[in-house]
This record gives sequence, structure tokens and C-alpha cells, in this order.
Amino acid sequence: MATFELYRRSTIGMCLTETLDEMVQNGTLSPELAIQVLVQFDKSMTEALETQVKSKVSIKGHLHTYRFCDNVWTFILQNALFKNEDSQETVGRVKIVACDSKLLTQ
Amino acid sequence: MADQALEASQPVDLTKHPSGIVPTLQNIVSTVNLDCKLELKSIALQARNAEYNPKARLMFVIESLQRFAAVIMRIREPKTTALIFASGKMVCTGAKSEQQSKLAARKYARIIQKLGFPAKFKDFKIQNIVGSCDVKFPIRLEGLAYSHSAFSSYEPELFPGLIYRMKQPKIVLLIFVSGKIVLTGAKVRDETYTAFENIYPVLTEFRKNQQWYGSGSFSIGIGYTCPNPWIRNITNQYHCLYYFVFFHQL
Repeated sequence: MATFELYRRSTIGMCLTETLDEMVQNGTLSPELAIQVLVQFDKSMTEALETQVKSKVSIKGHLHTYRFCDNVWTFILQNALFKNEDSQETVGRVKIVACDSKLLTQ
Repeated sequence: MADQALEASQPVDLTKHPSGIVPTLQNIVSTVNLDCKLELKSIALQARNAEYNPKARLMFVIESLQRFAAVIMRIREPKTTALIFASGKMVCTGAKSEQQSKLAARKYARIIQKLGFPAKFKDFKIQNIVGSCDVKFPIRLEGLAYSHSAFSSYEPELFPGLIYRMKQPKIVLLIFVSGKIVLTGAKVRDETYTAFENIYPVLTEFRKNQQWYGSGSFSIGIGYTCPNPWIRNITNQYHCLYYFVFFHQL
């Protein structure tokens, strides 16, 4: 079953990848098992975001650039306002990478 | 954009536009051949403001789904959209003047050159000019359609505008009850201007006169009642461009 590997680029995903790489380097973990762990990470992240996360955020800003290729949207926003129910924050520059969740079930 | 602002501030040349109204150009569609094969995926990944969805299907009114293999790219100045095909052919839409369309097409060609392709600028051609204007009086579409039946197509239940296919010049006009007019099909702007000057006396002939009663469900002007009881309350809000092409993802 295909997974979205984009969550591996998050802070937690990068830490996991680094740790697994270290373990494979010094022989405590086989490369196949490391890949299995990462695939499970992808699945767990998707499931957690779908079922356990209820908060909604609205993002408004100036669209500097956009790209759509291989069914992945990449946006770069300038002066983006992230608005939550209780808080808001302005970020000078933000990159958004988005995949179509409908493609997971195909 | 500068030349449009100039046209608005200068008095209308009545020798060229006897009606006193000059249609405003709204959209120019042009094509050019970059004369080299292109790798669309590599362009989509490197260029900014690009979309590439080779699985997308182009859907026509007759509902035949055809593959749409092009990169859609946009630039901000002039504000335009380009469809770039693997064959090296390109379509440029959205410009408000012929010079802007050519300038935009050159900018897209330069982007393709910067990505490493030996792009040329062959056979640039304006394919369509769309203009619009407002005669500022309401029009009796039913009367016009009856009198000019050879050129008119008026089906208010399908579309609120009258479609007038002028033979000389070969221009299609969308005429609305409000007096707003859309002209499309010109390859040079003079065709748009001539078509409008040709239709203006006809529009004046079928001008809708003042209503005798208040804005109720009756629309009895002199010599005209709306035949269709369902649309007697037509408002004058209709003025829209309509496109037969839209994209569908499978």
C-alpha cells in the first residue's frame, strides 16, 4: 500500500530518519527493517492527523509562487497570517507542500 | 495598459467610431511556435507558477474527454496564462492588448530558454480578440432575433443573451437585455470596431422603451411583451462571458 512520505521531512520525521540511519550504520538495525519503520511512521502520521487532530487553522497571505506536479501542490506564501480559535501568528515566508488524500485510497 | 488609459481620457474619434462608443478589449488569445521539443515535467519542476497534470482530461460541450498534456504557466506582468505543449507550441491568453500578448509570449519563451531549451519565437499570431461595451439602453432581444433571424440565435431558457453571428466581418456578438455587448472572433481589433459600428444602428432600432407600469411582473413597452411568462421578471444583471472548456480530473 502506498504512503505519503512527506511527513518524513517534519522535525519528528527527520529525527527518526537520523536515528534509524545511525542504527543501520553501526549494524544494530537492518536496512529493510529501517524502511519498514519509516513506512509505519508514514501510516501512523496519516492516521493520527485524520482521527486525532480536530483543530482548524486558516492561512491567509500573498501567494509568491505555486507549483502543481505529480499531484503535489507546493505554495510559497509571504506575510502569512495563521489564525486559530484562540491565537494568531504572522510568518514572513512559509512553504506549504500538500498531497491529495484521495490518492491514498486508490 | 497605458494605451487603454490613453483611449479612455482622449475624446472618441467619431470618424472611426460614429456611435461614440469604443469597445474595450478584454482578452487576447495568441499562439507561437517555440520550434523545439520540450520536456514538460522538467519545466513544471523548475519554473515558478506552473501546473502539470498529464492525467487531466479536457472536456468539451459534446463531452468527449481528451487528454490534456500541457504545462499551465502564469506570469504577473502582463497578467496572462500560457499553455505550453511538448511539441513546442504555446498558447497565451489573458492579455488586454495585442502588444501585451506578444510581450507576455516573449517572456514565457525567455523562461523556457533559461531552463535550457533552444526556444525560438516562430509564427506569433493573434488568434482571437474579445471586446465588450455598454450601449447604456435596454434592448428588445426577441424583436431583434425575429427581424435578423438569419444571424440570430436567441434561446432565453438556455442562455440569456442573443448570439448574433455577423458575416462581415466574421464576428460573434453576445447581446444582452441590459445593453451590454460582448464581441469575439476578431483577429485584428478593427474587426471588433467595425462589427460594433455595424450592430449599433440595429441595437438602436430595437431599443426597449420606457415601461408604462412600475417594476412589477409586467413588462409592456411599446410593441413588446416578453413571451415567456417564466422570465418576465428578468433583471438587467446579465453580462457574462461563458467558456465551453473546463478541466476534469479522473
